[in-house]
Amino acid sequence: MDVAETISHHILDHDWGVVLGGLRLPVTTHSVTIFTVSVLLLIGLAWAARKHTSRAGRLVTTLLEEYVSFIRSGIVLPNMGKEGRGMLPYFCTLFLFILSVNLVGMIPEMKTATSNISVTAALALCSGALIVFSGLKYHGFVGFLKGFVPSGTPAWLVPLLFPLEVVSLIIKTCVLAIRLFANMLSGHMVLICLLLIIFIVGEMSKAAGAGALIPAMGLELFMTCLELLVAFLQAYVFTLLTAIFAGSVIHTH
Amino acid sequence: MENLLKPDYGVLLLTVCNFLLLVYLLKKFAWGPVINALEKREQQIESDKQTAANARQSAEELKKELDDRLAQISTEAAQKIAAAVKVGETQKEQLLAQAQEQADRLVAQAKAQIEAEKNKALADVRSEIASISVLAASRVIGQDLKDANADKIVAQVLQEVQQK
Repeated sequence: MDVAETISHHILDHDWGVVLGGLRLPVTTHSVTIFTVSVLLLIGLAWAARKHTSRAGRLVTTLLEEYVSFIRSGIVLPNMGKEGRGMLPYFCTLFLFILSVNLVGMIPEMKTATSNISVTAALALCSGALIVFSGLKYHGFVGFLKGFVPSGTPAWLVPLLFPLEVVSLIIKTCVLAIRLFANMLSGHMVLICLLLIIFIVGEMSKAAGAGALIPAMGLELFMTCLELLVAFLQAYVFTLLTAIFAGSVIHTH
Repeated sequence: MENLLKPDYGVLLLTVCNFLLLVYLLKKFAWGPVINALEKREQQIESDKQTAANARQSAEELKKELDDRLAQISTEAAQKIAAAVKVGETQKEQLLAQAQEQADRLVAQAKAQIEAEKNKALADVRSEIASISVLAASRVIGQDLKDANADKIVAQVLQEVQQK
């Protein structure tokens, strides 16, 4: 197995080959990871949201309330205004879901589902749908379309500007998916490459491989810390940008 | 490696369904109750703040009213004290005047009484001296002087004494 294959093996999704009635089911490592994370989140958060009498339970509920306050006051309300209140559950779920999937990928033997373009595309699709839904909800179909053209634009410029703005919205949504995918993928690639340094050097000379062990592990540790930061950062960026785009559709020019 | 950018539509669809279902379920079982509790608490806090602000305003108004009343009472008390002091001064002067007058009257009365007593005593002494003198004189001359003559002589002698 060469380096490229090793990296692919650790990063790419693996189909479990479940077929039902001749139809291939999308049961893959990443989809199972996502499902597991979703179930754990659902159970954990539903438990945390209950009224607790124990001190630890109340602490968990308080933490959950702080989290909701953070999403509401830090992301949703500043970018979407009071119109965003109804969409708060979406943003709360989005941030925690991406963060959990990112962090699960940090656990040895687990896979980072957000390094799969299909997963990030699905999330971006949901966010894109939310953005379009926001526009339609607050402006109606015609108002939503009108929102693509800034007020005061000369009539002759509208046919040029309108497609540009529509494409811009689509690109923005696609970039959400690509950004998350690329960040999570590259981080894990770097981690694997750093580990592979030891084995590549070790194949040349066992002593050199042993010598490369400590610097490579130091770099690995540094990159792992960086990946932890990136896991939080990318979840925040994805959620924040979704709120900003939705806000720009609600509060048009 | 070329599979990295190759989308798996099955996974994509499954992720969309999974995520939207998660949003719905979490809204129902987690975010809904938490957001409701949070908003309820915020409303409660807002209401408490409003109540506290109203209470503060009422307290300030009450304080202002009490301060005004206190100032009014202080002014009234000062006026009453001044009036009382004035009345006291007047009464004191009246009492002093009355006492002085009474004392003067008593002194004058005492003096008059003393003078009367003195005059009476002097008259008695004179009368006594005159009697003794007449008795002595009658012993000297060996005859009784008639009362009328004796009185005449005594009066004459006294007049001469007084002239001396």
